[in-house]
Amino acid sequence: MFSTIFFYELKYWLKRPATYIYMAIFFMLSLLMAATTAGIFDSVTATTSSARIVNSPIGVNNLFNGLTILIFFLFPSIIGASINRDFKSEMHSILYSYPFTKANYLFAKFFSAIVIVTLIVLTIGVGMFIGFRMPGTNSDLVIAFDIKSYFNAYWLFILPNILLFGAIVFAVVTFTRNIAAGFITVILLLFVQGVTESLLSDPDNRYLAALLDPFGAAASNYYTQYWTAYEQNELHIPIKEVILYNRLIWLGVASLVFGLVYKFFTFSQNAMSFSFFKKVKGERSTKRNFGGITKINLPKVAHDYSFIQNLKATWKISNVEFKYIVKSWPFLSIVLVGLIVIFIVLVDVGNPFGTSTYPRTWLMLQGGGEFVFAINICTFLYAGMLVNRSKIANVNGLEDVTPIPNWSLFLSKFIAIVKMQILLLTVIMVSGILFQLYKGYFDIELGLYIKELFGLKLINYVIWAFLALMIQTVIRNPYLGLFVLLVVVIGIPLLTLAGVEQAVFKYNEGPGFGFNDMNGYGDSLSNYLTYKFYWVLGGLILMLTASLFWVRGLPHSFRERLSIAKSRFKTPMAIAFVVLLAGFFSMGYTIYNATNINNDRYSSKEVEEMTVEWEKTYKKYEDYAQPRIVAVKVNMDLFIDDRNFESSGEYAMVNKTETAIDSIFLNHNDYPSTFKFNRENTLVSEDTLYNFDIYKLKEPLMPGDSMTLNFTVKNKPNSFLVSNSPVIKNGTFINNMQLFPSLGYNGGELTDDKTREKYDLPPNKLKPLPSDSTALGNTYIAKDSDWIDFEATVSTSEDQIAIAPGYLQKEWVKDGRRYFHYKMDSKILNFYAFNSAKYKVKKDKWKDVSLEIYYHEGHEYNLDRMMDGMKASLEYNSENFSPYQHRQLRIVEFPSGGFAQSFPNTIPFSGDAGFIADVDDSDEGGVDYTYAITVHEVAHQWWAHQVIGADVLGATMLSESLSEYVALKVLEKELGKPQMRKFLKKSLDDYLLRRTFERKREKPLMYNDGQGYIRYQKGSLVFYALSDYIGEDVLNGALKTYVEKVKFQEPPYTTSIDMVNHIKAVTPDSLQYVIKDMFETITVYDNRIKSATSTELDNGKYQVDIEFEVSKYRNDEKGKQLFSETGRDSISYLPEGKTKPILSLQLQDYIDIGIFTEKDVDGKMKEEQLYLKKHKITVIDNKISIIVDEKPTEVGVDPYNKLIDRNSGDNRQKL
Amino acid sequence: MKLVITNLTKTYKNGVKAIDNLNLEIGTGMFGLLGPNGAGKSSLMRTIATLQSPDSGSIMFGDINVLEDKMALRKVLGYLPQSFGVYPKMSAEALLDYFATLKGISSKTDRQALVKEVLDITNLYDVRKKHVAGYSGGMKQRFGIAQLLLNNPKLIIVDEPTAGLDPAERHRFLNVLREVGTNCTVIFSTHIVEDVKELCNDMAILNGGRILKQATPSQARQELQGRIWTKIIDRDDLEAHEAQYNLLSSNYNEDNSLNIRVFNDTQPSDDFKSVEPQLDDVYFIALKQDEPVSAV
Repeated sequence: MFSTIFFYELKYWLKRPATYIYMAIFFMLSLLMAATTAGIFDSVTATTSSARIVNSPIGVNNLFNGLTILIFFLFPSIIGASINRDFKSEMHSILYSYPFTKANYLFAKFFSAIVIVTLIVLTIGVGMFIGFRMPGTNSDLVIAFDIKSYFNAYWLFILPNILLFGAIVFAVVTFTRNIAAGFITVILLLFVQGVTESLLSDPDNRYLAALLDPFGAAASNYYTQYWTAYEQNELHIPIKEVILYNRLIWLGVASLVFGLVYKFFTFSQNAMSFSFFKKVKGERSTKRNFGGITKINLPKVAHDYSFIQNLKATWKISNVEFKYIVKSWPFLSIVLVGLIVIFIVLVDVGNPFGTSTYPRTWLMLQGGGEFVFAINICTFLYAGMLVNRSKIANVNGLEDVTPIPNWSLFLSKFIAIVKMQILLLTVIMVSGILFQLYKGYFDIELGLYIKELFGLKLINYVIWAFLALMIQTVIRNPYLGLFVLLVVVIGIPLLTLAGVEQAVFKYNEGPGFGFNDMNGYGDSLSNYLTYKFYWVLGGLILMLTASLFWVRGLPHSFRERLSIAKSRFKTPMAIAFVVLLAGFFSMGYTIYNATNINNDRYSSKEVEEMTVEWEKTYKKYEDYAQPRIVAVKVNMDLFIDDRNFESSGEYAMVNKTETAIDSIFLNHNDYPSTFKFNRENTLVSEDTLYNFDIYKLKEPLMPGDSMTLNFTVKNKPNSFLVSNSPVIKNGTFINNMQLFPSLGYNGGELTDDKTREKYDLPPNKLKPLPSDSTALGNTYIAKDSDWIDFEATVSTSEDQIAIAPGYLQKEWVKDGRRYFHYKMDSKILNFYAFNSAKYKVKKDKWKDVSLEIYYHEGHEYNLDRMMDGMKASLEYNSENFSPYQHRQLRIVEFPSGGFAQSFPNTIPFSGDAGFIADVDDSDEGGVDYTYAITVHEVAHQWWAHQVIGADVLGATMLSESLSEYVALKVLEKELGKPQMRKFLKKSLDDYLLRRTFERKREKPLMYNDGQGYIRYQKGSLVFYALSDYIGEDVLNGALKTYVEKVKFQEPPYTTSIDMVNHIKAVTPDSLQYVIKDMFETITVYDNRIKSATSTELDNGKYQVDIEFEVSKYRNDEKGKQLFSETGRDSISYLPEGKTKPILSLQLQDYIDIGIFTEKDVDGKMKEEQLYLKKHKITVIDNKISIIVDEKPTEVGVDPYNKLIDRNSGDNRQKL
Repeated sequence: MKLVITNLTKTYKNGVKAIDNLNLEIGTGMFGLLGPNGAGKSSLMRTIATLQSPDSGSIMFGDINVLEDKMALRKVLGYLPQSFGVYPKMSAEALLDYFATLKGISSKTDRQALVKEVLDITNLYDVRKKHVAGYSGGMKQRFGIAQLLLNNPKLIIVDEPTAGLDPAERHRFLNVLREVGTNCTVIFSTHIVEDVKELCNDMAILNGGRILKQATPSQARQELQGRIWTKIIDRDDLEAHEAQYNLLSSNYNEDNSLNIRVFNDTQPSDDFKSVEPQLDDVYFIALKQDEPVSAV
């Protein structure tokens, strides 16, 4: 019987066109995705370059699994429908009396559907296989086909997931006899998966998360998340422990679910029903069987068929439809889960380091953004449900013969959808406000909520509603319609990859908007609304089209619908079409005109080609001698109301070389500018594309001679849709590199070697090594200057304060404008900024340095923390390294961006990076990042503005790593050593994670190529560990000597080698290996506790026996593991019961061994350190015994995670 | 007002000619459309009710050209399809209010009064707050009548409304229908001859998309006066009689003998008794005459 049903079902599916449509869609989708990642569109758009092999085992696994998730949306209509078909056709009333068993029936239904799903999955695999190999893909990104990658992805992840989700959907549909229920279940499962993922995102929960992820992704991540480029390209996902447990758990759940179906399924007429209330006691019921002749006398009522009445009716119908949506439980469950997501996100919003932010309304709105998916799904789904509602409920026979016009019915569905959207947006508002109140925060900006949600956001959803109604009306199957809509929505942004870059060609795309406290929406709204208006026109055209295809009555074929549509296309309709089309196209043309014709817009392909051309044309001048800028004097006039600037300036330049300079290469930007040298010259080459001009001096500039350049720069007027000025209404922040000319060829070349090869460019040389003594002529900040004298006059509107580096000389008001004259009394780098806003100022003093914070009114929360941070940093740096070079230090707020940047005596600091942090000072609180960032930026006054590295590899170690080190040390002083573990663990995790995204190569710290994860995360870990190994005083002593030697030096500039040599000089021989491991190579430890026991001794002390492993290896620049320096000197250890030995480099290492206990402090258990000492380790497997005074609770090898170790979780073990 | 159907033809995608060059004139009063399952009754009624378009032909109701001006007809149309559903989780009252809105009744008080009245008429007032989806078959049919009354229709089309109703419900339904149908045109399709006999002042027999016969029920019976004969026979003799006579129907008696009815202008033989013609006879004769001539 099983096979009869099974093959009958298969045949049914194989005869249905839908099966082949699904296959075709997935085949095309996977083909396209695979081909795109493999660079098939390189000829039309910018070159795809990556260090990743796209069809590596991990690549195949990720793409394959990602595409399979889309199939889950088809489960209700395949797996669910397999059983629901019998209910729907009422076949079940006959079928269920037939002599087959439950098992036969259920298994045959389920597995036949699984086979069909598998067939569709197969097309994904085939699509990917072909896609990677399409002619035109980039062969450097693709390796030979490896069936194992596909096979493993399939049987390890995809098949169990299909069985699990299939079983759940099958169960839900079987019991509810409702496809929609199955559908909602899929959405809810995806939501729930997302929620669990974010709840368990903490690294400490990784094991748990790995087991609990029903998709198994977290389980494979458990092993692969720290994989380097090499490992990602070469290795198969290991099929072991956590992955297998995860798969077994979820296969177990799948069988359980199916078992429940089997147990509770009965061949019965009616669906199972659940009730939360007790069953009402049954009552015998009879109806009246006699009588019934009545006199019919209908009351006289007015029947009104006017347009106005139809409008009123439309509104009324929309209320009925709206009620239907709101009462339907798919909607309720989406809202419920969406709410949970919102709350989780709100708790997390703006928390970069586990520290929460004050719940400003704009942050609440940002958090509500997570609801987008819920609103879109509801829109897509309910558009389908409403359009087909009367058909599904079989009411169309009654409804379609009433004298209500089609437009009224159609419009009512649209209005109902919009009402639903408004309700959902209200949910965001209410939850945001509730969250604010819950946090005890009462600055609720109701107006902002309303403006953003019901103005700006709603219009976006309405445009989706247009499309949804159109597609659902034409398709007439809500689930297929939803699927198509999802594909469209996911597909639209991907068009960019295929070279369709401009929003004007992509439905409902366009510039977004952003809000911040200082500048509000700035000027983003007019652009946003222009595009939205354009798409509303486009959407209305879709609506008109849909209304042509609106089904009234019972047409029997699409051809009939087509001919009905044709007959409906009468004069008024045609006029509306023409008007809308004309509006849409003229609007589109206006936008295109503004962004493409009146504005130089370059596609990413053109940008790539221009970069090539630039290098080919001008690189030859790179080493051409140029004068150096020695003094800068600028006037900067900011016109806030019109967002314009006009500036002029004078560079004093000196020929510091030993040759005569005959030409000046002036590198500027496309702002309207004028240039005037005080020496006679001729403009021999003017390039208006690359803005690179060559002036030939009549008399060469002799060594030691000087000259000046006077220039003016202003912006082109801002025009419709195009902003040509960086000036904003409140909170302008511009630096000199954005505006002012520089001298000589300044790089900006393509870096990817494969792309360069394509354009016949020689391979990209890394920056020179620090050992290259000929490359030390420039700092990594500027190529045309060393240290300069600086003076600036900045003017702004009368109600704003303008700031530039230097000391305020004079401030005055003239013609309604406010002027500030700043002058620096010491040499600075050629790197300065202008800020202007309506500021409040807080002042303080540290010794004789005046401290100022220029902040936005309302952002007073953390000013004291910032002041403390400034003082602490000034204290630490000046005590340990050298005196502070200025008499003043200013923090200046700018609107947003999440960063701060240190200029001479001036630190622009973005409003969302600390000003609104809600710091929890208790031990459980997160990182006080306001304080940490302040300390870091102030430290840059030394580590960048006193000591600046030459433009060679490793330069940022001297600035960023050291500033980060200072921040850690100052924090350690505040908080104590034990508290540092959470920062170190965070840095370690960030380093290990971000290095996996490395696109080119990872170099050791002292040769780093500028990557953030090396210079910040690894840098801070390394210097912190080093200070622990050789002592903070010793390290700082060496740094002090070093600073003395190199601060404010003229070229040749210092390098990382110089600094490391100073450190080496104070490091004992036994620890020289630390310098090699940390600075000169990439070295990774694998330390773990194997076992630990403690026994109480007779004298009341405790003996702790610890067995632990220590091993380390090096990574090459691609991340390949090397266990030996010479090829023969690795050591190994074969643990009992294992077949693969643990390998390691030779060990002569000193590693922390720690023993801890817990103490009750004020009712809270706190960790206390009983023992911490470095032990010399020479072998992999180690056993030691330590005696401590108190009862220990935990032991650890490198317990504070000072060393780089890819599994930091197994460094400690509880006793 | 008169409904005039001229040369109406409708062929479905699968090649079935559901309506075949059909001509029909229907005046005020109850009109019974009698036909076996699959005769094309529903197709015809759906076409009149503007739910589907014919391939050719015309339908006029008074001066309304139904195929050209569907809206005009819908204003005066009451239609009850053979099977219909209702929106779940909506009470009769709410659903009727909804339909009243669709039918152009703008004033809320008007709607309330009308809904109350139609609920009274159909005896649903007591259960007006209950979800219609939970109604029994009879109640649901009555609800169908209730919604149909809302626009005070001039043309009422009901498609096999009594199928599946118990005798009490059937009577009640027919009574209500009769009551509403006094001053307008009611087209009432059924395959139950009884219904027509009890109710209609005019009727037509439809099969294979064609009208086989149109007459008033009494007239039709009148025509057969003296031409219907009956006889009790053994089961074994049935085939012989079938071959020999124009057999209209045969029914078992309690003793397993058969009661046959035969159509013949004169007494076929002595053992046949003349009986009063019934509408069933009209129906079977019409169908019989339409049967393709098979080789005997």
